[in-house]
Formats: sequence, structure tokens, C-alpha cells
Amino acid sequence: MKKFFSTALVRGLFWQLIGTLVGAGLVTGIRMMMGLSATDKFFFTEPAWVLGGFFGVLFFLAGNGSVTDWFKWARGVDTPEHHEEKFSGWEKYLNVSLDHKVIGVQYTVTALLLICLGGLFALIFRTELAQSQLQFLKVDMQLFGQNGPELYNTLMSLHGMVMIVSILLGIAGIINYVVPLLLGAQDMAFPRLNAFSYWIAVPAAVLLVMSLIFGGFGTGWTGYPPLSSRAPVGVQMFFLGVFTAGWSSILGALNVIVTVVRMRSKGMVAMRMPIFVWASVATSIIALTATQLIGLSFQLVMFQRLFGMGFFDPAKGGNPVLFQHLFWFYSHPAVYVFVLPGLGVISELLPVFARKPLFGYRWVAMSSLGIALVGFLVWAHHMFTSGMNEYLRVPFMYSTLLVAVPTGVKFFSWVATIWKGKLTYPTPMLFVLGGLVSFLLGGLTGPPNATVSVDLHLHDTYFIVGHFHDTIFGGFLFPFFGALYYWFPKATGRRMNEFWGKVHFWLMTPSFFILTLGMMQVGLLGMRRRIVDYDPALGFDSTHLVLTIVGYLIGLSVLIFVINFFHSIKNGEKAEGNVWNSRSPEWQVPSPMPTHNYDQPFEVVGEPYDYGLEGSQYVKFAEPAKSNTKHK
Amino acid sequence: MRHFVIVGILVVVMAVLTYFGLVVAGVATQMHPIEASLQSVSIDWLWHWEIMAISFLFSLIIVPMVYSMVVFRRKKGDTTDAEHIEGNTTLEITWTVIPLIVVLILAYMGAYSLGQTRRVDPNAIVIKVKAQQFTWTFEYPNTGIISEELHLPVNQQVVLQMESTDVIHSFWVPEFRVKQDVVPGRVTEYRITPTLVGTYKVRCAELCGMSHYAMESLVIVDAQADYTTWIDQQSKAAFEASQSPEGLGKLLIVQNGCIGCHSTDGLKMAGPTWFELYGSAVLLADGSTVTADDAYLRDSILNPKAQMVDGFPPIMPAFDKLSDSDIANIIAYLKTLK
Amino acid sequence: MTHTQDKSSALGQGVLIFIYLTVLTALEYFIAVTFQAVTILIVVAVIKAALVMYYYMHIYKLNETSDDDDVHSYAYKTGTNRLGLWLFLLSDTFVFAGLMATRINLLGFTRPPLNQMLGLAVTAVLLLSSFFMNRGETSMAHGDTKGFLNNVVVTFVLGLGFLIGVVFVEWRLAAHEGLVASFGDTVHGPMGGVFYIMTGMHAFHVLTGLIFLFVVWNNARKNIYSAEKHWGVEAAAVYWHFVDLVWIFFYPALYLIGKLIA
Ligand code: HEA
Ligand code: HEA
Ligand code: HEC
Ligand code: CUA
Ligand SMILES: [Cu+2]
Repeated sequence: MKKFFSTALVRGLFWQLIGTLVGAGLVTGIRMMMGLSATDKFFFTEPAWVLGGFFGVLFFLAGNGSVTDWFKWARGVDTPEHHEEKFSGWEKYLNVSLDHKVIGVQYTVTALLLICLGGLFALIFRTELAQSQLQFLKVDMQLFGQNGPELYNTLMSLHGMVMIVSILLGIAGIINYVVPLLLGAQDMAFPRLNAFSYWIAVPAAVLLVMSLIFGGFGTGWTGYPPLSSRAPVGVQMFFLGVFTAGWSSILGALNVIVTVVRMRSKGMVAMRMPIFVWASVATSIIALTATQLIGLSFQLVMFQRLFGMGFFDPAKGGNPVLFQHLFWFYSHPAVYVFVLPGLGVISELLPVFARKPLFGYRWVAMSSLGIALVGFLVWAHHMFTSGMNEYLRVPFMYSTLLVAVPTGVKFFSWVATIWKGKLTYPTPMLFVLGGLVSFLLGGLTGPPNATVSVDLHLHDTYFIVGHFHDTIFGGFLFPFFGALYYWFPKATGRRMNEFWGKVHFWLMTPSFFILTLGMMQVGLLGMRRRIVDYDPALGFDSTHLVLTIVGYLIGLSVLIFVINFFHSIKNGEKAEGNVWNSRSPEWQVPSPMPTHNYDQPFEVVGEPYDYGLEGSQYVKFAEPAKSNTKHK
Repeated sequence: MRHFVIVGILVVVMAVLTYFGLVVAGVATQMHPIEASLQSVSIDWLWHWEIMAISFLFSLIIVPMVYSMVVFRRKKGDTTDAEHIEGNTTLEITWTVIPLIVVLILAYMGAYSLGQTRRVDPNAIVIKVKAQQFTWTFEYPNTGIISEELHLPVNQQVVLQMESTDVIHSFWVPEFRVKQDVVPGRVTEYRITPTLVGTYKVRCAELCGMSHYAMESLVIVDAQADYTTWIDQQSKAAFEASQSPEGLGKLLIVQNGCIGCHSTDGLKMAGPTWFELYGSAVLLADGSTVTADDAYLRDSILNPKAQMVDGFPPIMPAFDKLSDSDIANIIAYLKTLK
Repeated sequence: MTHTQDKSSALGQGVLIFIYLTVLTALEYFIAVTFQAVTILIVVAVIKAALVMYYYMHIYKLNETSDDDDVHSYAYKTGTNRLGLWLFLLSDTFVFAGLMATRINLLGFTRPPLNQMLGLAVTAVLLLSSFFMNRGETSMAHGDTKGFLNNVVVTFVLGLGFLIGVVFVEWRLAAHEGLVASFGDTVHGPMGGVFYIMTGMHAFHVLTGLIFLFVVWNNARKNIYSAEKHWGVEAAAVYWHFVDLVWIFFYPALYLIGKLIA
């Protein structure tokens, strides 16, 4: 217990609390001296909470030790490139570590926690939606300063944003763990920055949840003003939380790009990189640049609230639609941030389980970049009804439709990869295939949204909700689970339980298809998004009941996964060799991976996916490493 | 070769089945709520094509995938790898170019369909729409009519000029298909030609706050004759109302969207009901009690945050643009609610 | 192409670039006061930016391969760090681009009522500071710690002058002209907000730049940099020039382009 309370995590949280109070106290003190009111509905005033939230983050980072080395550098004190790992076992993961594998696990577990939290929010509001009329989120209830419908709006918005942050952390987890191993690097290019990127996400998550108790925000995850400029204080915590999480994403992406450019092992030319690396780079390019814009757009609303700068306030000549442009300039490319690593996982694992080379490697690699680049030019397809200049709608329709082409290349290449393969279906493969199908459904419902006139009907309905749950599950959640099942033995030296893995899959997949197809159906019939209650006359009650039930089933399956995951760390079947018989370098050495990765550097001497080619090799270790591959 | 033939046939079969499945589910030929406007025709037309394309493309991927999963699964005891096929440039080019062509066709159809929905009839009737948390108000120019429900004549283009006084709302009648946001600080335009007599609802489609879900109003498409009668009646009623303070008060209530939050029949909405309000004792948030007399009511309208009613959030905007006589008229109307 | 030069020719180059920049700035100002030629102003700004990026920030170094293939060598790591820094700056550019887009959208062809002379003065001060920073870095690259220290002090003082000029003088003068960020400014609409957020965000970067300068100055005093190993100095310099680069675009956007509204 004592050990637990002295971990960096707990220290950080403690300092975050102190920092929040210091920041809030500071502003309150100044206000009192200026003769302004010191307290408000949520004890402190809004400016006090904002500075408090900000200080909280700074104190967290200073307090948990993730910036200590930088302060030393600033004083001219040098530090060793890597520190001796001071902790072992679970403690390692709750303290600041510079090892990319530890950080990868930290990211992943945090992402899982957030998925559960976001899912829990979803289950709460889904329960309310099970029937028309208000059941428990009634107008006359009061919780955290919100009545029922307001609480619904907050939970729904938080569900969206917490899930999105969990995706960002989830992909960062996989990328962090896997990319240096695939490259043959000892670590990421900037280990301290890597730790910093992870740890800054923790106070960000805390801030997001804090928004719930400070009156909520109820604006949707998009936070459009003027609604967000009138929402309770909670919206400021939401903005700060996203802003902070954004920095995690930006710095993490920077690290990935530099690592890939500078840390590849000998012989690994661009066209011989594992395909997942390509996907990571494409994702990182977007995250590095576009993320700034969501930060900026939220910051402008924050300032509008604090100082009355009327950027988006029509009464002062501001322009609410401008916000939407700034916001979507990030948030559309962001959806490709979510899926590109997932699609990378699909491309990476299919050859392993089909025992056949990835079909058209170059095209698949280039299509990731293509999606990323075209993705920058389509943002206004979320604004077809927004009242922006009418003529802009047509070019944005065209550019959006264009994304279908590189995405299609991926699909056709995947099918060609498994065609005439020799397929086996362990759990990771099941999730890869499940992801493929659901992303196909999600993807194919994209072009109808992109054609303006049809979108005039579909916009802000459950059809869109169905579309993006499909794309997100298919592009992120399924491959994420697949990746976890696949690389779990690498990290722990044990396998996750296959039986429960299959239960997880077979419970989640049908439920999920019912969920999203049901959403699309009611959406077409006239179900709006973001409503706590729907007109009983529409006759959606029975469908919504089903949606709620399958929502719970998905929750149950995730619960099974979580238990399996934590249980297998200690108790899973031992698996220290090349479990999947893969050609990838990380599987050529025993699991779990030693702290400094490969004992001998390797050289790339062949193509990554040459399954079925006699005598071919992808990597060659400098000195004969203890090889335990069945496959040459 | 045999594989290709089988898969080819299965793709076609599956595409047809998917398509008919969607027809049976009622989402293919039109988007289920009945088509009630001219604009929805070209939208549903495009949708129908898209459903066909989706059915086909979905099958095109899924069938070979499932086929491979079944036919090419690893046989028991086989430990060798599959055939080494790296890729095929011709194929890659094919499946880049063909989707590109599909995309171009879709792009053309999309632009065409959009053009159809934006066809302008110079004789369109103009109606002014005001959106505010959480009501719609419709004003018919030159008639004095300010209404809570929207009446439209059938087969006649109308153009709604929409303004919002607070946050962004969105005007959507599912049966008309088209949707348009209502943005504060600008006038947005909604052009529609209803084609089917009936009663529909406009449902606000942009999250606008607590009662967003309830921001619905009736939209009634009348036969031409009924419409004219309605206009006549309403303008007469509006004229009569303008002769008495209560009547004027009621108009103001509608015009300012008070009924989005206040009921006149005792129902609790976002704000307290006005039923039997006048003269009653009101419990305030600070625990004190006041009598709802003229001074209190006036104060509640001009500066609602000053005396907060117990149990309600401070969401009511200050209506300080109302003149003294306006307020007197409103209070006169409130007195009638017993 | 090789870019290693002896110290005096590096200095000569620095002076030359500074003169170019000065002339271009004067040209900019002249164009703005005599006739509004937005396109020319943009072209001039882009030329200035290119000069700064190439000669002051040595963007070409990104392309340099070190002879040393050892990933643990200082030279290799510096290359890695350099790429990291540039990517960070690229990311940061998007903030400023977003602000620029906001300005264009909200203000169009109008501009805030600002003091032209002061604008020219702070711009000159910042340009001059970049010049001294360049000299400082060149000194360090030739192992001259003393010269570095002197130049950095000058840079620091000029930078501080810029910060004071903008935040404590310009902001007050603007407020005096009726340009306020907050409630009740119906004349200028969102102009106050845009002006304060743009200059404020830039000033924040100047402030962090100053802190950075202080850190390297302090470390140089402890003699931890050498001609071969001075990545900290290079980073501070590149960052400082980047701040200058941003101002190259913000200056015309706020002071020169557009009409004043009465
Ligand atoms: C993981 C996330 C993800 C992904 C990958 C996508 C992918 C796509 N999305 Fe989606 N989208 C979201 C997440 C995502 N989306 C979210 C979260 C929202 C809602 C935001 C909010 O408002 O809260 C949204 C909303 C959204 C809208 C706005 C709807 C509205 O609010 O009115 C639009 C409109 O154009 C759109 C289009 C597309 C398109 C065209 C693609 C394309 O990339 C899809 C491309 C893929 C295919 C087309 C399938 C495979 C291709 C082939 C088999 C080749 C042949 C195909 C053809 C020739 C068509 N999306
Ligand atoms: C990663 C992204 C992601 C994921 C996985 C999900 C998962 C789910 N979403 Fe998602 N959803 C979004 C992203 C996501 N959603 C976004 C971005 C929005 C838009 C928000 C907005 O409009 O602003 C949205 C909106 C949204 C709506 C529309 C709300 C509205 O418009 O009013 C609905 C409605 O049904 C819904 C339902 C669900 C359900 C039932 C699940 C289920 O899959 C959930 C399954 C449940 C779990 C995964 C929980 C498992 C955990 C437990 C059972 C508890 C165990 C507890 C501990 C261990 C502590 N979501
Ligand atoms: C956005 C919702 C909203 C709108 C629109 C609105 N109100 Fe209110 N109103 C409230 C709420 C909530 C309260 C209770 C809290 C308070 O006292 O402010 C209230 C209180 C009142 C009261 C005091 C009632 C009592 O029981 O003591 C009066 C009178 C009143 N409103 C009149 C009006 C008039 C007149 C209008 C239109 C011109 C109007 N309101 C528009 C939400 C609204
Ligand atoms: Cu008005 Cu939603
Ligand atoms: Cu998008």
C-alpha cells in the first residue's frame, strides 16, 4: 500500500490537486484585491478554475518527475541517456519510465480504462434511451448542478470525447510498443519526451472527468459556440482537458516521425519497412500538424468566455461558422488518425495468418499517405448544412468522395492477400477480419454522407452515429483488440486465453452489427442525434430497446476482455517463442522483450512479407541470436 | 479460374440479395419517412443509386473474403506457407481506376441532385422563421400573423428566412428531407416545395441546450384553399388581438418564444408554468417568498437572474428590449391564465 | 554544396542578410503607406521568410548526413534533435496559420488602429535581435564562448525590448484608441480580440524564447558548449529566428494590410 502511494501516478495526482487549488487561490486572491466576487456556484469563479486547471497540469508534471531531467539539462547538468530501471513488477508501470515498452503498456492500459469509462457513460445514457419519455434523467432531478436532460447531454458529450481520447492513447500505446521493435531501435528517438507525452495525458483525462462535476457542458464533443460560450464552467475543464490531451498527441507524433526517420536499422529502406510503420507515420503527420487547430479553436472559445473577445459571438461581429472550420480542420483528419494505425494492424497481421505476402505492398503503403493527405482537404463535409458559403459545398463533396479511392486500394489488397492463402483463425485474426468487415460498412456509408443533397437528410441523425461507430470500431477498436491479443505474448511471455478471446469476439461482433445497423435504420427514419428523448409517435421504442441491450452485450464482452487481459498477465499459458510464426523481427527473439530490446543489432536483408518464398529472410542478426523460429 | 467464376456469381447473387434485403427493410428506394416535398425526390433518387452501389461494393469485398476464409482455410496437418504472390500492377491499377470512375459518377450525380434541391422559383412565398431555445416562431409578412405552427400551401415553393436569437439550431422536417442550420447573426434560407397535404413536425437537429430534444413544432401542409382560409382567419384574429392588451400580450409571448420554456396549463417545462402564477406566492432560490405581482413579474422578465425561482437553472435570457407597454400587455395576458 | 565557412565570411553573410531584411521591411512599409498592394506585401513577406529560414535557421542542415554512422555519437543525435525541433516548429506554424485564418475571416480588408511608428520600431528591434542571435551562434560554432555570451546578452535585451514594446506600450496605446478585447466594443467588433490574441500568442513565444536564451546563456557561462557540441545554442537560435519568422507575417497582417475603420 505504501508503495502505491509513493508512485509517480499518485504523486502526480496529489500535486495536481495542490496545483488546482494554488491556481484557483491565486486568481481568487487577485479578484478579492480588485473587489470582484470571490466565489460562485462551484465555489471558485470561472477564471479561478481555469487557471487552477492549468496549474494542476503543470504541478502534476513537475510533481511526478517526468520533467526532472529537463530541468537538470537547463541547469547544465547532464543525465545518462537511459536510467537504470528502479522498479519492477506493477510498480514499473505506475512510475516514470523512459522505456518505450513500458510507456506503450502505460498508454494501452490507460486507453482501456478510458474505454470502460466512456462505455459506462454510453451504457447510462443508452438505458435512458431504451424507451421514449424520460425515465430517470428527469427534468426535476439534480446532480452536479444539472437536471436530467442536461446530464444526458454531458454524458453523451463526455462519452464522445473520452472515447476519442482513449483512441488517441490506444494507438499511441500500440505504436509506442511496436514501432521501435519493428525498426530495430533501442527506444524512441526522445525517451523523455515520450514519457512526458504519456504523463501529460493523465491530468488531461482527470480534467475531462472534472467537467462532469462542474456543471457539465452538454455541447456535444464538438463544442460549437455559441452554445459552448454559454455552457457552465464544466466546458472550460473540457476545453483544457482536450487541449492537454492534444499536446500528448502532438508530441507523441513528433517522436514517432523522428524515430522512423532516424532510428531504422541497417538496410531498412523505406520500401522495406513493415507496413504498420507506414501507417504510423501517416497518422503522425496528421496528429503533429492538425491537432494544433482543435487546440486553437477551443482556446479561442475559452478566451471568449474569460475576456469577452467576441471571435464567435455574432453580437460583436464574430462568426460562429469560423469555429466550425477551425474545429473540423483538425477533427476530420483526426478520424484518419484513429483508423490508419488500425488499418496498419490489419495489413500487418493478415499476411501472418494467411501465410502469404501482403498483396501490393507499395500501394498499401502509399494509400496510407494518400488518405492522410486528401484527409486534409475535406473538413467542410461536416458543415454542409451550417450556412457556410453555398458554393463551397461542391468542392468539398468532390474531395471527400476521393478518399474512397485510396481506402478502396487497401480493401482490395487485403482481399487479394487472403485469396489462396492458408488461413488460420486464432483470436487476433478474428478481430482483424471483424475489423475489416465493420470498417467496410462504415466506409461505404461515408460517400452518401459526402454527397451534399443526401447529407441534407442524414446530417445530425443516428445514421451518422451508425456510420462513425462502424468506422471507429472497424478502424480502431477491432484492430486494437486484435493487436493486443497478438502482441500480448511479446510483452508478457504469456498468451491470453483463447477460449475467452473467442467468447469476447463472438459476443461483441454480432451485437456490434446490430447496434450500428440499428442506429442507421432509425437515423434514416428520422431519429436525431443528441436527444435525450424521442417522439413516441415515431415508433422507435422497440428498436431502441434492442440497441440498448446489444450495447450492454458489447459492454459485457469488453468486461470479459479486461478480465482475461489482467488475468493472463500472471496466469496465461506460457508463450515465449515465435507464437504466430511471424517473420517480423520482434518475434525472432524470445519473449518477453528484454529491457534494451535486441541484444544484437539486425540488418534487413529481404522483404518483410515474403511468406512462402523458399529461403528468404527479412532480418539477419549480427551474431547468431538465440533463434527459436520454426520458420526460416 | 474456377474460383473466380464461383466468386463472380456469388458476388452478383449477394449484391442482389443485399439490395432486396434493404428494400424489404424499407431503407432502399426511399428514406422511409414519406416523401413530402419536391426536393426529396432527387435526394431519394440519389440515395437509391447509392444503396445499389453500396450493395454491390459490399458484396464485392465480402464475398471473396468469406470465400477465402472457407475455401482457403488451412487444412489439418498442413504446415507450409501459401503460394508466394507479391502483387500485380495491372490489378492494382484496375482497382484504383474503377473506384475512381465510380467516384466521378457519384460526384456528378451529387452535384446534379444538389442542383435540383436548390431550384429557385421566383414566386416563392416568403415566411420568416425565428428559432430560439427552444421554440420555433413563424411570421407571415404583410399579414400580421405570428404563429407557433407553420402552415404551408401544397405545391407551392416557399422560402423560409431563418434567424436565431441565441445559439445554433437546425430546421429539419424529415419528410421534406432537407435540413438547414439557423445561425445567430445571419439569415439562412430554406427552400421547399411541399407536395403532400398532411401534418408533420419540424425537429431541431442541432444540439442547442437542455430542451433540444423537445424543440419541435407542427408543420401543416394545407390544400391551397385551406391555406388561404387559414391565412384569412389568422390575420383577422391577429388584428382583433391587437385591439386588447391581453391579446397583444399573447402575441408578444409567441413572438418572443416564451412558450418554449413556460407552459400555460400547469405543465413543468424548462421554466415554471404561468398557470395561476399571477398573485400566487413564489418560492425563490434563496428561500424567501414573494407575491407574483406586477412589479415582480416585470422584474422577472427584465432581469430574470435577480430573483431566481427555486429549482430552476438561470437559463432565461433577459428580455430588456421589451418596452414598458409590452410588459404591461404581457402581464395583462398572464392575469388571464387561471 | 558545403556550408562550412570561416568566421568572418559567416559574419559577412549575416550582415548581408540583415541588410536585405531591413531594406525589404522598409519597402513593405513604403508600399503599405503609399498604395495597398496586398499581393506584393505577401510576396515580400515570403522572401523575407525564405531568407530567415535559409540563412539564419539553416534549414539545409536537415539534409546533412553525418560522417559518423554511430547512432550514439553527438553528431548523429544532433541531427535527430534538429529534425525534432523542426517538426515542432512545423506544428507550431499551424497555430499561427490558424490565427492568420481567423484574422482574415473576421477582419478581411480592415486593420486595427495601431501606432505605425511603434510597429516599425518593434519590428526593427526584433530583426536586429535576430541578427545578433545569428552572430552569437556563429561565434559559438567557432568555439568563441565569450563572443557568444556578449551577443546573446544583446539579443536578450532587444527581445525584452520587443516584448515591452508590444505588451506594455502597444497594448496600452491600442486600448487608448478604443481597441479593447472585451465587452462593449461595438466599434471594432472582434478586432480587439483578434489583435490581442495574435500579439499575445506571439508575445508568449517571445517570452519562452527569452527563457531559452537565458538558459543557454547561463550554461555557456559554465563553459559546457564547444564548437563541436553546442546543440542547445543552435536550438535556441533556431527557435528565436522562428519567433522572428512569425512576426514577419504578423506585422503586415496587423499593421499594413487593409483599411482603417473610423
Ligand atoms: C474512424 C473514423 C472515420 C472514418 C475512417 C470515416 C470515413 C469517412 N467518412 Fe466519416 N465520420 C466520422 C468518423 C469517420 N469517418 C465521425 C466521428 C463523424 C461524425 C462527427 C460528428 O459530427 O460528431 C463522421 C461524419 C462524416 C460526415 C459528416 C456527416 C454529417 O454530419 O452530416 C461525412 C460526410 O461526408 C463523412 C464521410 C466519410 C467518408 C467519405 C469517409 C471515407 O474515408 C470512407 C472511405 C471508405 C470506403 C468508401 C470503403 C472502402 C472503399 C471501397 C470498397 C472502394 C470502392 C468505393 C467507392 C467507389 C465508393 N463522415
Ligand atoms: C471509440 C469510440 C466509441 C466507442 C467505442 C463507442 C461505443 C459505444 N457508443 Fe458511442 N459515440 C462516440 C464514440 C464511441 N462510442 C462518439 C465520438 C459519439 C458522438 C458524441 C457526440 O455526439 O458528441 C458517440 C455517440 C454515441 C451515441 C449517440 C448519442 C446521441 O447522439 O445522443 C450512442 C447512442 O446509442 C452511442 C452508443 C454507444 C454504445 C452503446 C457503445 C458501446 O460499444 C459501449 C460498450 C461498453 C463498454 C465498452 C464499456 C465496458 C465497460 C464496462 C461494462 C464497465 C467495466 C467497468 C470498469 C472496469 C471500471 N454512442
Ligand atoms: C430559455 C428558457 C426561457 C425563456 C425563453 C423564457 N423564460 Fe421565463 N423563466 C425561465 C426560467 C428557467 C425561469 C425560472 C428561473 C428564474 O426565475 O429566472 C423563468 C421565470 C420567469 C418568470 C417568473 C416565473 C415565476 O414562477 O415566478 C416570468 C414571469 C417569466 N419567466 C416570464 C417570461 C417571459 C415573458 C418570457 C418571454 C418574453 C420568458 N419568460 C422566456 C426560462 C425561460
Ligand atoms: Cu434548437 Cu436544437
Ligand atoms: Cu469527416
